[in-house]
Amino acid sequence: MTPEDVFTVIVGHTREVVPGLDDHAFQFTDSLRELGANSIDRSEVVMLTLESLSLKAPMIEFAKAENMGELATLLHARL
Amino acid sequence: MRTAEPTPIVVSGIGVTASIGQGRREFTDALLAGEHRFATMRRPGRQKPGAADDDAAAFIGAEIADLRVPDAIAAAKLRNLSWSAQVALATVHEAWEDAGLDAVDPRRIGLIVGGSNIQQRELALIQAKYRDQVEFLRPTHAMTFMDTDLCGVCSEVFGIRGLAITVGGASASGQLAAIQAIEAVRSGQVDVCIALGALMDLSFFECQAFRSLGAMGSDRFAREPGRACRPFDRDRDGFIFGEACGAIVVRRASDATRTPYAELKGWAMAWDANRNPNPSLEGETSAIRAALAMAGLPAEAIDYVNPHGTASTLGDETELAALRACGLDRAYLNATKSLVGHALSAAGMVELIAVMLQMQARRLHPSRNLDNPIDADLRWVGANGADHAIERALNMSMGFGGINTAICLQRG
Repeated sequence: MTPEDVFTVIVGHTREVVPGLDDHAFQFTDSLRELGANSIDRSEVVMLTLESLSLKAPMIEFAKAENMGELATLLHARL
Repeated sequence: MRTAEPTPIVVSGIGVTASIGQGRREFTDALLAGEHRFATMRRPGRQKPGAADDDAAAFIGAEIADLRVPDAIAAAKLRNLSWSAQVALATVHEAWEDAGLDAVDPRRIGLIVGGSNIQQRELALIQAKYRDQVEFLRPTHAMTFMDTDLCGVCSEVFGIRGLAITVGGASASGQLAAIQAIEAVRSGQVDVCIALGALMDLSFFECQAFRSLGAMGSDRFAREPGRACRPFDRDRDGFIFGEACGAIVVRRASDATRTPYAELKGWAMAWDANRNPNPSLEGETSAIRAALAMAGLPAEAIDYVNPHGTASTLGDETELAALRACGLDRAYLNATKSLVGHALSAAGMVELIAVMLQMQARRLHPSRNLDNPIDADLRWVGANGADHAIERALNMSMGFGGINTAICLQRG
């Protein structure tokens, strides 16, 4: 699995959690916060992604990601 | 003794969702037609794991088939909502629209949610799913596991800012919510209050416990779900669960913008100092008498009683004894639970609503399975229903833990 694959998983869960993003063209530089995800939404996107990846890792490790690309990279590094 | 409120308190909006129908019209039509949806329950988490469909020990109940959520409630709002919360939203929406609450200052609107521990099936499913992978448990579980999530969800969707709390009184929770809503309006805490009888979402754990306790039927009609729910009949063997939810909008008559469904004339609560499920003649008569006194009505002024009537062996007998002791043996009587089942936390509210919809229809709904009433001399409405314009009604609820409630209503 590549970081791009992880990014695709994050995008899927972001669309699931945050309304109105069905037609949005996601970029690595997109910020979940700027896309309208509040703190609970963001934690849920991360948790859903962890579950999809079967990755048991503390959520706190991913809080420092500045954008979705960084989140994908951090998650990929733990696979 | 409290006296009646000089400014009458009325019901100016109704929302209802039950197995036999969603919305006032559908529910009323089904009620008056004597319909039912009793069957082996199929919602995930309602049957013991591995139980076969034809298992004679399978739990019988009446489940809501398809919930229609109004377009006005965005799909995104429904994410992470329990079944109880989804049904509450749809039901409150109907009551809200009916009463025209968009025109009211949201800081003057309250919400009282009746019911405690209402999301048991959801919790059981979540615990089963995450038992071996708790690391992936949704963060939102920290919000949704609490009953007060219904307060949060409904107040956010409808913009309610005056009050939003839960109250618990076991199977009297629905009526308790109505009474607390009345009190909130009467005291001036809010101008309008929505009382919700929340859907009690039982898991197989609670069903099993109710069966073991002897409260839930039906050993006798395991293979005939349509015959299992039979309040006040000699062959009853316990309550049959039914999913339901009801909401009413309570306000002062002087503030109502439409002809009210009913005036709430008197209400009362009485406690038995008893932790157990057994009924109390003293508690029930005390609640009935206090409600009548508050309404300023003699017993003979009541022409219809909607009893609690769960089909409990002792409970049904005690309730009829209480009605006789209070001089209510001349009023018409039917059993709403024979059609919708026992909705537990929502029962008192759904039955209060059934009273008002029958008032409006000028007809009394049939009682199903009342083949041999335990007190045949009372004025039962049997299998065919009856034309009757209710003028003044009494509605009762009782709950485990020794709570008894009664509400007197008068045609609006």
